[in-house]
Amino acid sequence: MSHTAHHRPSAWYALPAFGFFGLFAVLPMILVVYLSFTEWRGLELPALTGTDNWSRLFGDPEAHASLWRTLLFTVLAWAAQTPIALLIGVWAAGRQRNRAVLSSLFFLPLLLSTAAIALLWQALLDPNFGVTQAAGGPLADLLFLGDPAIALYTVVFVLTWQYVPFHTLLYQAAARTIPASLYDAATIDGAGRFKQFWHITLPQLRYTVVTSSVLILVGTMTMFETVLILTGGGPGTATRILPLYMYETGFAGFEMGYASTMAVLLVLFGTALSLAVIRVTRFRKMSSQQEGL
Amino acid sequence: MTTQHVTRPPATPAGAPPRGGAAAPRRRRRLRTRPNLLAGALATLWLVVVAVPLYYMVASSLRERSEYLTAHPLSPPMSPTLENYQTVIEGGFLRYLVNNVVVTAATVGLVVALAVPAAYAIARSESRLVQRGFTLLLAGLAIPAQATIIPVYLMITRMNLYDSLTAIVLPTAAFALPVATLVLANSLRDVPKELYEAQAIDGAGSFRVLRHLVLPLARPAIVTISIFTALTAWNGFIFPLVLTQSEETRVLTLGLWNFQGQFGTNFPALLAAVTLSALPIFVLYLIGRRFLLSGLTAGFGK
Amino acid sequence: MLRRSFKRRQRPQRALIATGLVVATSLLAACGTSGPSDAGDGGITVWALQDDVLNEIEKQSIESFNTEEGGNATLQTFGNDPYKEKLRVALGSPNAPDVFFNWGGGNLAEYVQADRVADLTPMLEENPDLKQSFLPSVLDAAKIDGKYYGLPMRGMQPVALFYNKAVFEKAGAEPPETWADLMSLVDTFKGEGIQPIALAGSQAWTELMWAEYLLDRIGGPEVFQDIRDGKPGAWQHPAVVESMSKITELVEAGAFGKNYASVGYDVGGASTILAQGKAAMHLMGSWEYVNQLGQSPEFVERGDLGWVPFPSIAGGKGDPANVVGNPTNFYSVSAQSQNQDSAKKFISTQLNDPEYVQALIDAGDVPAVSGVEDKLANAENSEYTTWIYELVKEAPNFQLSWDQDLPADEATFMLTQLQKLFLGELTAQQFADSMAQH
Repeated sequence: MSHTAHHRPSAWYALPAFGFFGLFAVLPMILVVYLSFTEWRGLELPALTGTDNWSRLFGDPEAHASLWRTLLFTVLAWAAQTPIALLIGVWAAGRQRNRAVLSSLFFLPLLLSTAAIALLWQALLDPNFGVTQAAGGPLADLLFLGDPAIALYTVVFVLTWQYVPFHTLLYQAAARTIPASLYDAATIDGAGRFKQFWHITLPQLRYTVVTSSVLILVGTMTMFETVLILTGGGPGTATRILPLYMYETGFAGFEMGYASTMAVLLVLFGTALSLAVIRVTRFRKMSSQQEGL
Repeated sequence: MTTQHVTRPPATPAGAPPRGGAAAPRRRRRLRTRPNLLAGALATLWLVVVAVPLYYMVASSLRERSEYLTAHPLSPPMSPTLENYQTVIEGGFLRYLVNNVVVTAATVGLVVALAVPAAYAIARSESRLVQRGFTLLLAGLAIPAQATIIPVYLMITRMNLYDSLTAIVLPTAAFALPVATLVLANSLRDVPKELYEAQAIDGAGSFRVLRHLVLPLARPAIVTISIFTALTAWNGFIFPLVLTQSEETRVLTLGLWNFQGQFGTNFPALLAAVTLSALPIFVLYLIGRRFLLSGLTAGFGK
Repeated sequence: MLRRSFKRRQRPQRALIATGLVVATSLLAACGTSGPSDAGDGGITVWALQDDVLNEIEKQSIESFNTEEGGNATLQTFGNDPYKEKLRVALGSPNAPDVFFNWGGGNLAEYVQADRVADLTPMLEENPDLKQSFLPSVLDAAKIDGKYYGLPMRGMQPVALFYNKAVFEKAGAEPPETWADLMSLVDTFKGEGIQPIALAGSQAWTELMWAEYLLDRIGGPEVFQDIRDGKPGAWQHPAVVESMSKITELVEAGAFGKNYASVGYDVGGASTILAQGKAAMHLMGSWEYVNQLGQSPEFVERGDLGWVPFPSIAGGKGDPANVVGNPTNFYSVSAQSQNQDSAKKFISTQLNDPEYVQALIDAGDVPAVSGVEDKLANAENSEYTTWIYELVKEAPNFQLSWDQDLPADEATFMLTQLQKLFLGELTAQQFADSMAQH
């Protein structure tokens, strides 16, 4: 090993990236933590208030509710996107011509930005001029964005519409790398399609499931503009997720100190998820080593 | 951290035949004999879910406003007109588009320039500083950008960059950096260490290794992170929202939102703007679909 | 020009965004990174909100000040959201503008409390003609703790009840004069299969208009003034609970239909269903007229758009002639201005200048200046503008929109609670209690 060591790249190669990241991501994080211990309303400079904001956060039912909503959103988005993307991805991995054509259509939502998709669905679901109104029947009676009991699911649906194509692509690409011989052997053994899916496809795709899930979880937790544009957190507070509540507190209510406290909470949850990513990655290496034995 | 230097044993994808290789025809035969009805039905259903809104978007953008308010939203436009597109273009769309292109290109350039050497160092360096930095970078994966907008705004203003496109590029690139570096580093770790050693025996310095070994080998991963970063920058919302104010620096996403207030119930014009905003990526998609798709999934599809 | 007035109502979402930046910017204030260059030489800087049509008029008034009064003033304009941010920064720094545009109310009060705004009371007392040249109820919106801090400089925007005349005629109904009328009209129109009242409930400020008028009619202006002044228990005044119960009654009677919670004003939802005859009435700011003219011109040109004051309520303490809404925009003088005299001279000579007033009227605004009836009668849309003018002129009190009059954090909380009230998630009593606890 030692004879190659001096040919290894020096740490300088990584420093610009780390420095840049430190300046525009880590430093703001440190500042936000500082602000979470201050009262800061704009006209004057931030004043340290100890843990006031934090005790307020623990006693604020609106904050609890929006944190709960954020977690619910994240779980629902995962539960909706994963099976659809998995099934369609595996199906689209087949080489038939019609599948190729269809899967190229599936890709289309990826061409639209999040803002564009939110605006499109807002027009589609407009309670007076939208498609659901024209469709009539039970659809017209459902207030997709106006009923507090439904709006959250509507947002999850829009997120699913937006992100399933991407995850379908992941599964499609991964499914194509599964050796056909595995299926052939199973067919000879008389295993049905469901059994093949359960015992061959799914285990073979497990790393893709992990990758895709992590992307969905982190993505949904940091999701923001879909809700801002589509519902503005409403009706009432039915879709007011933590990022949005933070935003309103800080940017409409001018309580920047308290808003920073929520930002820190958000980051804590995000980092916990991120650490989970690293753990899963390590776990993945260990388990693949064991498989190699 | 030893595991990182152990060459991974053949995990799932490694043993697979190359795409479109010998396995494909055999599978085609097998699948043809037994069509997968359930998955096919699901796929068709999802197709409807995907296609109807997109049809609505395009059809409505071709309607006159009066027709939109009276006609069935899913009927074909009675007298298709491009008037709405004209409205949108006169409303400043092209400027927003150019801004978006500039921001996206600059962000991708910056991220690639920073991430490639960093990933090389992460994959090959034994420096603890580098590995610690990488861990920090990974932790940054999940920092929600909106949690940092206040300090970011503060810094951008101090740097006298407020209301400039640079102001959007810097934080956008910073938040795209962790994913980009992770994907690149993973791909470089997959490079057999013998290749590096061969270069070393030839007496190549680390910069030459970077140019002649890392860059060519990492090309697919660079494509991936470029596309990923480009989409992030292209769709960015919160940084432009907070860091710019004037029409001169408005990017597409904000332009669209602004159109919503500007057009009111002129849904056709809004939908024309939405459609137009997708057009550039659609063109890219038509030109290099395979390239785009493989790029999109190459890094994550393991 | 039509769009202009519509856009002038700030979009709350966007307002959120930039206003927050203010805060961040205030840190920078210490370094004085922004703000106009120091005049010092008797020159004054005037800051105003961007507006294609009105800025021209404002420029002209500055030019006439410079030529006729020998002043040296310059105008700088900013977009809606950045403006608030820039102003907040600048007022905390030595680079404050000499004259600045504002909305009056709590917004201005915050600056007054930080000693950033010059008291204009002595000037108005010395010059009674100047004071009398503005409508008193509007001038009062820039009165804080009994002192005047601003002079009206743009049009007035009271809230009125708009209705579709064709729909009323078909139902054989008359526009409501009393609350009882309104409630019975709700049943009438429901019977006709028409939504009685359009409401853009996804934007809480549209719902706020109902709360503002109801409380003013039932309890009189003093109840809200106590709330604004932060008197303990003010939110739990019986009139608040009674007003909010009336909202619940309306909602439960089906006055707003079912889908109001996702209808947006910015996307034109409520205005369009009024124009289409799918809804009979719509409570909205005076800009609704210009908005309808732009979005559904045939509806206005047919003469189908009608308007009446908000109904009176039997037994209510408030004067039924009171109005709520946005009284107008004001010019205020910065307390740090080195050229205060020149700045005061500018606002005292130009804002009631006949040419300036005429130009505002020609642009479709209804200025808060006394004695402009003839000018309004000779301009376009005179029927409507004259009515608005009389409505405000006769109003003993013009309550500024609560969301502008309350401190920002309380206003944000209130808007959410109000949406919950409209959704039936809170009772009137719960609304009052939660506001009192905040």
